[in-house]
Amino acid sequence: MNSIKKFKVNLENLSSRERAIFKKLIRAAELIAGLYLKQKNKKYPGANFYPPNVSIEEIKKAARNNPSILNPYTFVERTKSEELKAIPYHIKFKKELKPISKFLEDAADLSEDKNFSLYLRSRAQSLLDGNYEKSEIIWLKTEPFKFGFVIGPIERYLDKLFFTKCAYQSWVGILDEEETEKAKEIKDIILTGRSKILDKSEKVDVSKVGIRVDKTAVFSGLIADCMFTGTNLPNDVRVMKKYGSKLTIFETSLKEKFDQDHLPIFQAVFDKKLQKRYSQKELYEGSLRCIISHELAHSLIRYRDAEKRLENLFPIFDELYAYILGIQRCGLAFLKGVFSQKELEAILIMHICRNFTWWLDLFKNADVYHYAAGAAIASNFFLQEGAIKIRGGISWPNFTKLFICIEELCKILDYYLAIGKYEEAEIFIKNYGSFDIFKYFSPQLKKFIK
Amino acid sequence: MTYHTPEKIYLTAAGLEKFKKEHKGLQKIRNSKIIDQEELIRLNKRIEELELIFKSYELIKVPPKNRQGIVGLGATVVVEIDGQVDEFTIVGTLEVEPSKNKISDKSPVGQALLGKKEGELIEIKTSIIHHKCRIIRINYQNE
Repeated sequence: MNSIKKFKVNLENLSSRERAIFKKLIRAAELIAGLYLKQKNKKYPGANFYPPNVSIEEIKKAARNNPSILNPYTFVERTKSEELKAIPYHIKFKKELKPISKFLEDAADLSEDKNFSLYLRSRAQSLLDGNYEKSEIIWLKTEPFKFGFVIGPIERYLDKLFFTKCAYQSWVGILDEEETEKAKEIKDIILTGRSKILDKSEKVDVSKVGIRVDKTAVFSGLIADCMFTGTNLPNDVRVMKKYGSKLTIFETSLKEKFDQDHLPIFQAVFDKKLQKRYSQKELYEGSLRCIISHELAHSLIRYRDAEKRLENLFPIFDELYAYILGIQRCGLAFLKGVFSQKELEAILIMHICRNFTWWLDLFKNADVYHYAAGAAIASNFFLQEGAIKIRGGISWPNFTKLFICIEELCKILDYYLAIGKYEEAEIFIKNYGSFDIFKYFSPQLKKFIK
Repeated sequence: MTYHTPEKIYLTAAGLEKFKKEHKGLQKIRNSKIIDQEELIRLNKRIEELELIFKSYELIKVPPKNRQGIVGLGATVVVEIDGQVDEFTIVGTLEVEPSKNKISDKSPVGQALLGKKEGELIEIKTSIIHHKCRIIRINYQNE
């Protein structure tokens, strides 16, 4: 696996100058995969971020005297005297980062969009000096660019010890204006209404949430391995609260996932009579709304100390709650007449299919463990409450009960993220996180297990 | 108090004004003579639609002060649905703009709220979602 994924996109509407910029960005994105591969190591939960023979306690102890040990952008290595020391990514990869940074500078020279040039130059610099915040803020504050382009150490799923170290990734895409307008409407609907949350100081200014839908051309690094269909950045709660967040929906990735996973899984595990109720288009829309509402919900549930409190368990709760809260918000939109009942049912069905997809993806890539664990929790919860019934590996959902479960799960997950203790969260996962649920469907899903 | 009947088209004063503006604008474009055939067909269709609305609409009237504690068409309602405080205006089908908090009188929430009083706890029942909802405040844009 070279951790680069390419999608076919139409470049006809790009000028020759834009095509030249596009090529530079693609080259930079491709090169970043090499750095990601140096971070990745399937054998250890801490990947290559920490020495293989180190214990969690030893890292915590060393970090008390030297906080850079648990800095998101450092490798931890042993010195000759067996002490732990931190080496920033930009120093360790100085040689490799130079040409990547140069591609960004070249693209900035070519661009006629001043803001985009400013962002590219700032990002080029941040790759070399390790100060990523400045360029992240420029990215958040400027209007959507024609190109969707992100590069750097961003997602933390590779670090299963502390969920702290950021893995390199990049994507390059072209803005789909029509779909972006539709997504903006969903955003305004989903984010209306003020939730009663457990910690009132954690309210989010939803006016600072931006959304774009991209026809993505390239995924590189972690995102290529995980094949995400959407993202909500930044991950730093502090930056997000001050400057807002930006959601990107990866249309080409979603279409591929839908055709290869979501739809075939729907056809494999749901009752034939139920299958006849929905057209392919309705199901695709369901899947799209599922991911849009999931990413939007992320903007509503950023609890400042949740990551510290829940450590490696945090992403399980964070990702699952975003799915569940997103669907709950879609339910409210249905009550307001925004979605029809059939459209809401399609969202629920696609959520269930996505749960299976995460489990199947886990066979190929251990880095999606947090998503798969969340998917197992939701699926077990639905089964125990009678919201899905299984007969001979075939499922029939009870939509009324599903919604009761969604409401119940919202309360439970909000508790863990807002104030729950690590030990309590661990017990909850133990009670509901068994992957055995998916094994009921093994005969139907065998062909998907690669 | 205005309640909907299936035959009538209900519009707020603001909605009517918006449609009139649109009508005027479209007529201006039609008379400009720099329009292709396809665009002209689309334009004429919309002008016809708007003229049909002007023939059959009924203006949503703001109820008298002593009836403003009851939800009717045109009312802006603040509600609490399962812990979430929400605010929206109930409008006729033609004025629905969910992203601007204008929701249809025919939506599950709209249907459940029409005719209910401030402070009342009501049940929104659909075949897949049941919700309890309390009306916190009702406002009308007085003329």
